[in-house]
Amino acid sequence: MKSYYDIVGDGGSKIVEQVVEQRERIARSLSAVRHRVAVGSGKGGVGKSTLTSEIARALRRRGLGVAILDADLNGPSQARLAGVAAAPLVPGPDGGLCMSRSADGIGVVSVGSLVPESQAVEFDSVVGGDSHIWRATREFAFLGQLLGAVRWGELDFLLIDLPPGAERTYQYAEFLGPDTAFVLVSTPSELARGIVSRSVAALRGTPNRLLGYVENMCGYYCAGCDEVRPLFPESEAPDFGVACFGRVPFDPELARSGGTAAPGTRDLLDGVAARLASAAEQESP
Amino acid sequence: MKFLCVPCDRPMKLEETRSDRGSIALTYGCPDCGYEFAMLTNPMETQVVGSLGVKIGGDAPSAGAKCPFTGVVQELNDSGADDGFPWTPAAEARMANVPEFVKPMVKTGIEKFARDGGHARVDEQVLDKAKGFFGMD
Repeated sequence: MKSYYDIVGDGGSKIVEQVVEQRERIARSLSAVRHRVAVGSGKGGVGKSTLTSEIARALRRRGLGVAILDADLNGPSQARLAGVAAAPLVPGPDGGLCMSRSADGIGVVSVGSLVPESQAVEFDSVVGGDSHIWRATREFAFLGQLLGAVRWGELDFLLIDLPPGAERTYQYAEFLGPDTAFVLVSTPSELARGIVSRSVAALRGTPNRLLGYVENMCGYYCAGCDEVRPLFPESEAPDFGVACFGRVPFDPELARSGGTAAPGTRDLLDGVAARLASAAEQESP
Repeated sequence: MKFLCVPCDRPMKLEETRSDRGSIALTYGCPDCGYEFAMLTNPMETQVVGSLGVKIGGDAPSAGAKCPFTGVVQELNDSGADDGFPWTPAAEARMANVPEFVKPMVKTGIEKFARDGGHARVDEQVLDKAKGFFGMD
């Protein structure tokens, strides 16, 4: 009797072929993107999204073509940060989805511009409840469809803003494929550093490049006295075994929609972007 | 998943699909002896496979108008969200390549733009106007 592996195809369902086709569609869509960099942490609340947005701006200031994919479907923030929360994705004449752009020319694809903030991000289902069983699969499939449907065009950098969760970081590495490099965001808190260490360990088990990390919230910028004040107790720099791209203070101005970083913060962000761009170039396969 | 006709040692071929309240009926037949059987899914099985964003039955005629997995899910979604805002065939054609999971969110956003702009329907001019309004390439 024939075994599973003796039979070519699946009799007409074509599930495997469709999954392969999905991946090919994503590859075609991203074919003119030079560097894909996922910005993760594992820890929530460390400022990944704001930092992703600011790094994109800093890369843009270097004259580079940049877009952001907001992969945090349940806590999307990139549309608001970029000021494009009201901009839908629009199909062009070729059927590809045109992405909105921020005032400084950064392409942004975020569920935040597709689902109003007054609504939860829901996916339709033929079963009542039990979304814990299928929701993660659905979210990855949705992201895959989005990646393949958007007309990204020629880009130097596509930054992918990841949701929290060390194990999710690993899943996104598998999902995005080995050509996607990672940058992790930590803070000077021991709690955050411990979780980022888990993400570093998780990524060590993948073929993906971990370019480095950024330590965020290293003090806060006080506009009143124009200096950086301490936010966390003094501690030694962490040893994640990867390059540190910079230590950036919390800048309250960036918490405002459309806020602009103070000159000192912006200089630090420019340094982060320069080191990130250099690392991406050097380690590009 | 593959199915084998044991007496003939031949892979079964998908012949027809039907959907009913979240359950999918997939009819397979043996190309040699003609023996047929149907695989009936429960809604959870439908949902799990449908969450992959794939369609089952690419080679098989569907007994209903909807595709078996994403189609069923889409049908339920449409019943709650679609208020019948009209699209011209040309505008609909631009949506043809937009994946099923993404399409409802894209349509909702464009229809809001059209309504806010006082348009009675979505046509290609509205789509191009939206592109221009939001500074898209």
